[in-house]
Amino acid sequence: MTSGITRYERGAIAAVALMLVAAGFIFLYAPTDALQGPVQRIFYLHVSAAIAAYGCFAVVLIGGVAYLWKENVAADRLARAGAMVGLVFTTVTLVMGMIWAKPIWGTYWTWDARLTSTLVLWIIYAGYLMIRRLADPGRQAARFAAVVGIFGFIDVPVVHFSVTWWRTQHPGPVVINDALPPQMLIAFFVTMACTLLLAAVMIAIRYRIEVLMDQAAERVAPAPIVAPTEVGSAR
Amino acid sequence: MRSIAVALAVARKDLTSEWRTRELVPALAQFIVLALVIANFGFQIDSHNAPAIAPGVLWMALVFAGLVAFGRAFASEREQSSLEAMLMTPASPAAIFAGKALAAALLLVLCEAVLLPALALFFGVPLSFDVVSAVLLATVGMAVLGCLFAAMVARVRARELLLPLLTLPLWIPFIVFGGQAVQVAMGGSGGTGNTSGLLIDLDILFVVLTSLTARFVLDD
Repeated sequence: MTSGITRYERGAIAAVALMLVAAGFIFLYAPTDALQGPVQRIFYLHVSAAIAAYGCFAVVLIGGVAYLWKENVAADRLARAGAMVGLVFTTVTLVMGMIWAKPIWGTYWTWDARLTSTLVLWIIYAGYLMIRRLADPGRQAARFAAVVGIFGFIDVPVVHFSVTWWRTQHPGPVVINDALPPQMLIAFFVTMACTLLLAAVMIAIRYRIEVLMDQAAERVAPAPIVAPTEVGSAR
Repeated sequence: MRSIAVALAVARKDLTSEWRTRELVPALAQFIVLALVIANFGFQIDSHNAPAIAPGVLWMALVFAGLVAFGRAFASEREQSSLEAMLMTPASPAAIFAGKALAAALLLVLCEAVLLPALALFFGVPLSFDVVSAVLLATVGMAVLGCLFAAMVARVRARELLLPLLTLPLWIPFIVFGGQAVQVAMGGSGGTGNTSGLLIDLDILFVVLTSLTARFVLDD
């Protein structure tokens, strides 16, 4: 630790450098869209951030199930880290989408199935972080949060398939439908790979923070105070 | 089956206690009528716009009445510390939870028995079989999920705040499809499609997920 930089710092530097590479592909390599103009360049990061958010919430789901199954503290920490990073990427997706929607649709927001379900996704995982804070730290918080994380993940496929299940204003899947010229496709895949790596680095750093916070909490309260649940003890 | 007997016994206990005190259902019925009065002022209801607004008012009133009903289901147990006592018996936590959810759902159905006729009377909308079945199908899923989160928040700080925060986003699917069914049944436009089938699918999904996770919430 004392000599030079830690592997977390190295990871962070690599992630930032790769995001700059992605920016290069987005702004210099990818051609300007004939219809939408430069605003279309939002697409690369917008979709990549959404996919990264799905990935983070999958981490929350897997961590939650693993915790309920094995009572493994590491799984719970991973879920915690995933929820927070996922919330950041959902915010990025929503904000970038709104910036794109203003010039293209003429409005920041419309109650479209995809937009609405993404907003609900944000609220669900904000609730996840909220119950973590309000429940008793330790087993109770981990169990309750795991349950919320399992139910919350139901919304991820809803967000993803909303454009095919309902008639929406939101553009459908352009990447798998081969609707993009090769240069745009390359720029998209580069951005997506870099964004996923950024998410992974962020989860790793957040995981480390959770470890340190758990250790600090243990130092403050060496033995968890479990109040005997007898009548009158609540006072 | 022993678990079913336990669930029915717990449900009977809750319903008996509600019958003896008669505090929740009358209060909620009053709340529902008040919600309709407020909707009248908020939307300036007349005979033209009533059919378009009524479905929205129905779900708003139902959702908030449900939050109160499910919150109370576990709040009273917490006040008496009686849930811990029940969990100490050999009965399975899932069966106890099922009983509590069943009782809370039945109390909400009683509230619906006030809400739907009141809506028909004050808003002049038809009460068809489709409306009743959509509301009842949505009640099943809303009750299991609402009770699961109510059991959870009964043990944490700021529970009144947290219950709607966790429950409402996950109730949205029921409101989407239930709302669609009610809109169509009340003569409004809306998607076609098999909304009852979708509501049943959602009910099954939430009942299965809740039965798998209830143990971790109660037996803590």
